[in-house]
Amino acid sequence: MNSNINILAVGAASPAWRLNRAEINAGWGNSGGTGQVAVCAPDEDPLTLGVEAALRALNASGLQIDIVDGLWWGTSRPPFAEGPSHAVMARAIGLSARSTGALCSGSTHSGMEALFSAADAIGAGTARVALVVVSDAIIPGLGTSYETRSGAGAAAVVLVSHGGNAALGARLTRTNPYLDRYRGDGELSTRDLYDPRLFREEIFIPSLHEIGEHLGTLDIANWSIPDPDGRLGALVARQLGIKSVVSAPVIEELGDTGAAAALLGGIGSLDAAGSLAIIGFGGGRTSGVEVRINAPVRGAAAVAKSITGGTSVSYTAVTRARGQLVGSGETVPMGVPPQSAQFVRGADEILNLLGARCVDCGTINTPPSIHPHCISCGGTKFVLEPLSRQGQVHTYVINQTMPAPFIAPLPIAVVDLDDGARVMLQGVGDGSDLKIGTKVELVLRRYAYERGVPVYGYKVKAI
Amino acid sequence: MSWNRVAVVGGGLIKFGELFEQSYEQMAAGAFAAAVDSVDEGFEPTQVEAAFVATQRGTLWGQEGIGGNTIPTAIGLPGIACTRIENACPSGSDAFRVGAMAVASGVYDVVLVIGVEKMRDKSAEEGLLARAAAGHPIFTRGETAPVLFAPFATRHMYEYGTTREMLASVAVKNHHNGALDPYAHFQNEITIENVLDSPEVCSPLHLLDCCPQTDGAAAVLLVSAEHAARYTKNPVWVAGFGVATDHPYLHEKSTFTAMQATESAAARAYAMAGVGPTDIDCAEVHDCFTITEILDIEDLGFVEKGKGGPASLAGETSLTGRIPINTSGGLLAKGHPIGATGVAQIVECWWQLRGEAGERQVATPNGYALQHNVGGRGSGVSVVNILTNNRPNS
Repeated sequence: MNSNINILAVGAASPAWRLNRAEINAGWGNSGGTGQVAVCAPDEDPLTLGVEAALRALNASGLQIDIVDGLWWGTSRPPFAEGPSHAVMARAIGLSARSTGALCSGSTHSGMEALFSAADAIGAGTARVALVVVSDAIIPGLGTSYETRSGAGAAAVVLVSHGGNAALGARLTRTNPYLDRYRGDGELSTRDLYDPRLFREEIFIPSLHEIGEHLGTLDIANWSIPDPDGRLGALVARQLGIKSVVSAPVIEELGDTGAAAALLGGIGSLDAAGSLAIIGFGGGRTSGVEVRINAPVRGAAAVAKSITGGTSVSYTAVTRARGQLVGSGETVPMGVPPQSAQFVRGADEILNLLGARCVDCGTINTPPSIHPHCISCGGTKFVLEPLSRQGQVHTYVINQTMPAPFIAPLPIAVVDLDDGARVMLQGVGDGSDLKIGTKVELVLRRYAYERGVPVYGYKVKAI
Repeated sequence: MSWNRVAVVGGGLIKFGELFEQSYEQMAAGAFAAAVDSVDEGFEPTQVEAAFVATQRGTLWGQEGIGGNTIPTAIGLPGIACTRIENACPSGSDAFRVGAMAVASGVYDVVLVIGVEKMRDKSAEEGLLARAAAGHPIFTRGETAPVLFAPFATRHMYEYGTTREMLASVAVKNHHNGALDPYAHFQNEITIENVLDSPEVCSPLHLLDCCPQTDGAAAVLLVSAEHAARYTKNPVWVAGFGVATDHPYLHEKSTFTAMQATESAAARAYAMAGVGPTDIDCAEVHDCFTITEILDIEDLGFVEKGKGGPASLAGETSLTGRIPINTSGGLLAKGHPIGATGVAQIVECWWQLRGEAGERQVATPNGYALQHNVGGRGSGVSVVNILTNNRPNS
């Protein structure tokens, strides 16, 4: 192995919802359609998916999170069009305030750009540990052909300069100013192709051929290749003589995961020694990279489980969650405006889920900023520490009656965390899996979206 | 030995309900007139020296925060001293306590305590339900009023085997009482099945486990003990009161089977009045939800902890039971116009101790009635007032 860009660990995540293609077709008066795509629930987005994948990769790596030198995040839909998307994700993952990195966006090719940028940082010696996160949840235009293919998911890769059982090898990129799928500035949803045959014959197939033929000279066993319509991936593979398309079952499960697709399609195959080619496509650019695997990579065996599951939901629920079906009534604004001082004061304690442990009696007070005195003993000396992310339900309710923008049923649970702290937080899903005593974990979710600000916090999820 | 330094010499309220046709000011004027008319030996409105007004939320028109200068003009007494008291759901009972202290201090001889709340000028979505978005952006997000109490029901059912039927029996009993109270918002009987079959609002509470959103106003007149005889031969005395707070966030609670603010407020009130739970003949307690009344009767010491459900189902709290609770219909049937609620409960206790409660009249052999509210963020504030018709100590 001659590269010094090594893969130490990987992780993946998928959203809570699944939508059957037949549901979408039925919505437009068409019958039939098989399979499904993954869709974000209203409290998920590319940031929450990315954090989940990142934490899995970092847990698998065995590294202390604070030694990560930077986050390179690729997504075509950062939660802020302009704003602290990267900073919020970095802090929610628990990265140091000194960490570096970049947010790559603008097309589904941004996943490859994040990977290459992180690799360059390792190669240049400016980072020894680089976290690559690719995540996406494209909002397809209503009634577009792409609507039945557009999925959501995330992958994360921990790159290191030393160690790791796999390494990046040759890579290449080709650029052509072609329009495929796109979204104008300020537009909510992604527009479909102008002409599917034009795309197929003049854009997609030639681009994939050029990259694939180069990588094919390297004796590659497994391939992750894009498949924007459910057919082109298999067609290209056949034309190139590729036998093992490891991305196919991932696409079958989740649909086209945009900027996440290339890495997410390939990282599961890092569970065994061998070789892998990853090809990413979008925004007029096509890139490929060779990966050599000496031995199973940490976290790779868990990838398949991380992307399965999910709850089947209706097309109506999905279009509402994506903001394409909007009620005509007023919504209730947050009592604390999401741009205001409380969010500045509270950013760390919310995103890092901090508690204040009383030096005198050991009681954990949450959140720290509203507890100058200990709730148990009145003490004033505290040590800030991250709360345990697991615990069990002490009591709970399922709220069925709230004004918009809330969506019922909304579970709310009082949870005793394993470190002794007690918190009350919303639950994910419909709460049907909650009981007193249920073991739960805390996961980052989007609590609200108001005045253009996504508000993130932790929610309770049954283990 | 009860405190008994202040007497209630008048009390009244307006019919509670969705009073779309009445303004905040008109409701206040109606309640004040009812209180004035109730004084046995006659009362000139201008004798009021100071008013304490309880309004928790206010109205669409912006009275919130300025009830203190709205009320005097509305009741025809511009220029008098007037102060708004806001202390969550116990606002009315706390205004009563503050009014009593103002009289006992010797600063005023005659004080009006008036509670007024206009809940239905706003839609439910913009009104109480909007609190789902208020408070801490994460730790209270989605916390509508039922969320403050329903977790206690979940846990009480788990620890003590309390059932939904037991919860429902509270609503059935209070609707029965409300049907006998001409001032009640709801005047119809309901069955346990009605409660069980009503839509779920916030598990395990269903619609008929919840009080309605109600407009209303109530007023009482307080005078110093030495002047009471001028107004009535049948005064009711303020025997004692207690206020207590608890942590404002639910996750700070150490127990979900008791309201610690209620327990502390009750202990203070009993100590001040020199009585205990067994001395109380009847009580108006805070039944914003059925579970709340079950917690209340335990926390106030009327039944053993954990036995509130079976006691309610067995009728121990009915008009003819061992300890009649919420003879007026309670918040569940009479309604919960927040600032007015506590004052209206005082009026019911006043009627019961004077034998003027009509078909709802219960026996008062000991001469003590108790009034209680609990509420606020995390149900972290409670007020208990104890009234008596026993002669003053002096």
